[in-house]
Amino acid sequence: MKVIDIKNLTKIYNESEVKVKAVDNVSLSFEEGEFAAIVGPSGSGKTTLLNMIGGLDNATEGEIIVNGTNMGTLKSSELIDFRLRNIGFVFQSYNLIPVLTAKENVEFIMDLQGRDKIERDNRAIELLKAVGLGERVNARPAKLSGGQQQRVAVARALASKPKFVLADEPTANLDSKSTETLLDIMEELNKKEKITFIFSTHDQRVVNKAHRVITVEDGHVKSDERRN
Amino acid sequence: MKRSFVMAWRNIWRNKRRTLITIASIFFAVFFAVIMRSFQLGTYDHMIHQAIESFSGYIQVQNKEFFYNPTLDHSFEYNDDLISSVDQVDNIKIAVPRVESFALASTGTQSKGVLVTGIDTKKEKTLSDPENRLVKFRFTPKIVESILNETDLPKKQRELLKANENQSYSSFSRISLDLDLNKDLEKTILPVIKEKASFSGNYLEPNDNGILISDRLAKYLKANVGDTVVLIGSGYHGMSAANIFPVRGIVKLLSPELDNKLVYMSLSTAQQFFSLGNNITSLNINLHDTDDMYETQEDIKEAINSDEFTVKNWEEFNPTLKQQIEGDSVGGVIFIGILYFIVLFGIIGTVLMMIAERKRELGVMVAIGMSKIKLSFVLIIEMLFLGFIGTLSGLVVSAPIVIIGNRNPIKMSGELAKMYEDMGFDPVMPLAWFDQYFLWQALVIMIMVLIACYLPLRRVRRMKVVNALRA
Repeated sequence: MKVIDIKNLTKIYNESEVKVKAVDNVSLSFEEGEFAAIVGPSGSGKTTLLNMIGGLDNATEGEIIVNGTNMGTLKSSELIDFRLRNIGFVFQSYNLIPVLTAKENVEFIMDLQGRDKIERDNRAIELLKAVGLGERVNARPAKLSGGQQQRVAVARALASKPKFVLADEPTANLDSKSTETLLDIMEELNKKEKITFIFSTHDQRVVNKAHRVITVEDGHVKSDERRN
Repeated sequence: MKRSFVMAWRNIWRNKRRTLITIASIFFAVFFAVIMRSFQLGTYDHMIHQAIESFSGYIQVQNKEFFYNPTLDHSFEYNDDLISSVDQVDNIKIAVPRVESFALASTGTQSKGVLVTGIDTKKEKTLSDPENRLVKFRFTPKIVESILNETDLPKKQRELLKANENQSYSSFSRISLDLDLNKDLEKTILPVIKEKASFSGNYLEPNDNGILISDRLAKYLKANVGDTVVLIGSGYHGMSAANIFPVRGIVKLLSPELDNKLVYMSLSTAQQFFSLGNNITSLNINLHDTDDMYETQEDIKEAINSDEFTVKNWEEFNPTLKQQIEGDSVGGVIFIGILYFIVLFGIIGTVLMMIAERKRELGVMVAIGMSKIKLSFVLIIEMLFLGFIGTLSGLVVSAPIVIIGNRNPIKMSGELAKMYEDMGFDPVMPLAWFDQYFLWQALVIMIMVLIACYLPLRRVRRMKVVNALRA
């Protein structure tokens, strides 16, 4: 089943009267349960592409259809709500809310969705256990290592039961061991919860784990390789 | 909702020092505003109490021509109908009849124009209370010399006693204030003063044919208790008014203007002297609840229901005092406004700083699905917490000072005290009891906080998530 359908997507930045085409006429689609990596050199347009798929940035041309909804037609407030219910995010710098504990960070997104306390509690604990942080539920981000924070971020991204998770360079700030652990966790959750994961990455370890590798260069899709 | 409050509370303590500085600025603004306003309002209350409640009354019933042309020809009959009409109005504490006119007073060698005030000797005790203002002590040069010789006063009190030579007093408390006496000194010197400086004088009986004269007038006329004073004036409809009156007592009035010219006599004697029959020139009314003055004024008009009378409140018959209070009050409000204005910029600075350093965090929250309205709500709560803590602490700390200052007014001394006395007021500064002004400070701060939130909220509304995530 097609989760994301991208048609003729273009993004042009107007930098000091010079037009820069960050993404140029890209068409792609993602199926449910995919574990895909978008790779390419710095400035190739992978983060811009990911931001547009996540509804964080507007496309200059083209359209992105998620589960039958054309994101370009949504108003700003509708787009925020759409993200809340459909998309999970994992950022390079973890970006947890520093004043909330690990559990509260995971619960936060469910709270925004209006889920009841018992459900929030149970799912937050369940997800934190799944990412190996069952013992650190009450720790604030400052008390967690980078790897642990990123695992909380993964748990937070999955808490809302999204259609897909976008992870922008999730391993860039992690050591090898943490990277391996995180990737194993994400792969397992991908299999278990049938959630689509899309990474933008430079990291070969992520590429090795991915079931599909999309290479982007100068805003174009250079190759789209599927693996078994 | 609960999470928004939790987040807001934790957020404000992320930078403890900045939060404490902001709270401290609000605290000091509220504290000084409360104390300053309390001093101002307390002083106004005191002024009104002395000038209005203790002399003219809050409301006066007059002949409608008297207000514009205050002569005895515009007096009116003080009859049972009028008394019962006024008495039926709620909120009236007392209605005191008076006859007021001018005459020439003479003791032979000295003469002076005086204000003759005919009073109901019993009812007047609830208004200007002349009995309580009777001079009981006098510091003549001879008496001062004698006190100085017989007591071992400190240098300061000796100088103050000398400085107050020729002063008259109607109470010990005022002597104590003028001589800056502490409890120990009071115990030593007051019995000596009682023995050396006591001054005799009596209040008027209901139909007394004697008079009370004000202290400065007595000094000018060189009249003493037991002496006689001749009064010559014009009575009702041009009748001649002339008589000789024995001085029963001397009253010390705070207002120098009144103290220079006032003569009290009983109402019946005044009516007889001015050939007024049963007429009076004003019915002076004090109220139970002065906040309802305007309503009571209307009720009295309705109750009297006659074109013959006019009913005026103190702001109408004493516009000078009203303007004086209003002018001073506006000055105070402007000063407090400036104080708050400075604090407002402090708060705006804090809130902008809070937003700037959390730009990425705010971007993440919107990215993962928090609406900008909810995010703005959290920021507003953060600011309200700061405002609430600062305001509450300011109010809590100022409250005991207001209580103490209200119960024990600050007594002024030196030139400032003299200045107050020259204006006719007791040289004391009481703090006003808790009233709307107290809660106004909280309201003003909360409004300021909401104003301060405008800029950050606008930034949140216009925030581009992608840009915020790059911050």
